[in-house]
Amino acid sequence: MDAVSLIPTPDALQVHWFWLHLLLTLTTFLHFVAMNIMLGAGFIAFAAPFWRGNDVLPLNAHIAKTLPYSIAFTINLGVAPLLFLQVLYGQFLYTSSVLMAVYWLSIIGLLIISYYAAYAYRLIDDKSGLSRLFIGAALLLLLGVAFLFSNNVSIMQMPEVWSSYFSDRTGWLLNFSDPALIPRYLHFIASAVAIGGLGIALYFEIRKRRGATDGDEWIKLGSNWFMVATIINFGFGFWFLGALPEAAYDPATLKGKIFFIMIVGSVVTIIPSIAYAQAGRIIPATAWALSTILLMTLARDILRLTYLNPYFSLSDLPRVSQYSPFIVFLLAFVGAIYLVGWMLKTIWNTKEVA
Amino acid sequence: MNYPVWEIEFLGGGFLIAVIAIIHVYIAQFAVGGGLFLVLTEHLAYRRNDPGILEFVRKHTKFFLLLTMVAGALTGVGIWFTISLLNPSATSVLIHTFVFAWGTEWTFFVIEIVSLFIYYYTFNRLAKRDHLIIGWIYFGAAWMSLFVINGIIDFMLTPGAWIENNNFWSGLFNPTFWPALFFRTFFAIIIAGLFGFMTSSFLKDNELRTTMLRYSAKWLLVPFILFLASSWWYRAALPPHIDVIMFQKMPQLRPFITLFMVCSGLIILGGLVMAIRMPSGLSRTMAAVMLVVGLMYFGAFEFLREGGRRPYIIYDYMYSNAILKNDVNQVAEAGVLNTAKWIQHRRVTPANVQTAGRELFNVLCLSCHSLGGPLNDIRQQVRMSSPEELNLIFATMGRERPYMPPFAGTEFEKQVLINYLNTTIRK
Repeated sequence: MDAVSLIPTPDALQVHWFWLHLLLTLTTFLHFVAMNIMLGAGFIAFAAPFWRGNDVLPLNAHIAKTLPYSIAFTINLGVAPLLFLQVLYGQFLYTSSVLMAVYWLSIIGLLIISYYAAYAYRLIDDKSGLSRLFIGAALLLLLGVAFLFSNNVSIMQMPEVWSSYFSDRTGWLLNFSDPALIPRYLHFIASAVAIGGLGIALYFEIRKRRGATDGDEWIKLGSNWFMVATIINFGFGFWFLGALPEAAYDPATLKGKIFFIMIVGSVVTIIPSIAYAQAGRIIPATAWALSTILLMTLARDILRLTYLNPYFSLSDLPRVSQYSPFIVFLLAFVGAIYLVGWMLKTIWNTKEVA
Repeated sequence: MNYPVWEIEFLGGGFLIAVIAIIHVYIAQFAVGGGLFLVLTEHLAYRRNDPGILEFVRKHTKFFLLLTMVAGALTGVGIWFTISLLNPSATSVLIHTFVFAWGTEWTFFVIEIVSLFIYYYTFNRLAKRDHLIIGWIYFGAAWMSLFVINGIIDFMLTPGAWIENNNFWSGLFNPTFWPALFFRTFFAIIIAGLFGFMTSSFLKDNELRTTMLRYSAKWLLVPFILFLASSWWYRAALPPHIDVIMFQKMPQLRPFITLFMVCSGLIILGGLVMAIRMPSGLSRTMAAVMLVVGLMYFGAFEFLREGGRRPYIIYDYMYSNAILKNDVNQVAEAGVLNTAKWIQHRRVTPANVQTAGRELFNVLCLSCHSLGGPLNDIRQQVRMSSPEELNLIFATMGRERPYMPPFAGTEFEKQVLINYLNTTIRK
């Protein structure tokens, strides 16, 4: 069946697609940062005791304390990009979601269980023994959720596989026919572990600056996880690149050129980040790593457009302009930043390191 | 017509969305009313200089955080996931119309998360004044979330002038916006009292437990009159044809009207009983019963509101099966099999007549009917009707049966679908 004939007709935008895409990219970036810290720190909390034994339990106590926050913010910061993604690419996203409906809906249940498992891990004082089951369960379920997200993205941007719906309409489809599925997934997981390591280093660096004296060992440990996971991720990244359609990095096209620049930029920015982290300069290391995540987010956007290029262009989307709701949103956004800033400043000024 | 249909069968007929939505909205409304409960109870603790009440607030906040932040927030995302699977076309209209309303609501959600975490983790660490301000910020953000979402939910029932002008503000501030906002606000306060019973009943100190149970009872009894008044206002604001559908033409909704009335009495009665001094075991049981009554109360209301929208998913604009009201005649002329995008057999032959019937059933019926499920089971309904009665149902859809959309296909497609129901489904 012709894939083009299956693509649903999109509804009209209220503002130029550029604004929506800007919001999509910005909020996706924020979501990626939170998700990487959540998943990576959870991974390290589960994995580190396997070769460091009970020595890392003090670190795990800190991760356990912060994991529910990072899950909450990952979910919260995931809502906004999901919203803007639906506006711009709803005709693709809804379709892929229906094709894998059972898996897609199961994400909610998996997240609820993993969230409560993370809270259970936090509330149990002894971080060895049975409590590791909780962090293991939370991690395993979050890895499962990530795999389902990778699948949805894969189905969404490959309308050529949509006709499998006619052989199974019950929502049990995954896209193992996509050669990029597994490397994409592993690439995301490895980067999460890397950023999780850097997040641990940053957390203890901030505590150190506020007077805590227990963090040097964990800054070192976090930086090492960051370096090793990033080196491994170069391997996954090249595998991922090799599995992409050639059009993705074709220098003859504008999208190919931009994608290439983003990838090179990501490599160029992650190297100083590792170097700074190894030298114990965590703040500049974080700044460089955030640049890498931003470039990777932009590369991700370009890649999606390349995949959908045979079927769709953003400029094709119809528009019936109404800018006043957009302005109200921007005002609310600014107001939220102000209020959140005020609240954080208020607790920062309590001068207490928990 | 535009999207593939998820063959959900048993959980169809609105069951899946009803379960997720009722649980979510109950917790989400608790997240609003409970926010007010927290901060006003903290004020009370300071006013009475009572550390016992303050400790109760802290423990209640922990329960509140674990329930609203995890189950509440995720079932909210779950509703989004579910509606986009069950009715992607309607979801797309809502998302495109209200993208910035949802975006604005998200900014309140951010404030809620940050303020609630800070509120819980800074008990006795922040200055009283700052702690109370953060509590008020939480409540303000939670109520503003309700303000925005209320507009979108009621848009589906009463889109008002939006039908003509497609204007965002007409859709958001639709004819039932204000009464629904007051209705939900008072209900949120009542729910706060119901959950207050729950945590109060676990207090070990008898004196404090009685104090807090009586205090929670006020959260039910005081707003109740205002809640009833807003219910009347809500009903009065409904367009007459919706009121007729809800209260006269849909026999399926009568049990929910009765349930709503019964639960109104039970809420008052329960509130009065909970104020009586009683042993902790009994008060816990009563608190659990009251929570269930509250859930049924709200569930009954949600079924009524959803039922009143039939046969539409967005009133007067899009039918439950995602066919636009304005497109019905065009579809009837061209045929569903030729118009819908996700159709395998556009031409019906003797070899594929059952598959084509199934495709017609998926597109036209599956959004409202389950197959063997607890809600709107088509199998049961077909088996209860003779083939002649089934023909009559098709002939009267959208007219004498105003809660069903008119049949949108050609006469031939109608026969193919009836044949499918009489053969495959009737088995």
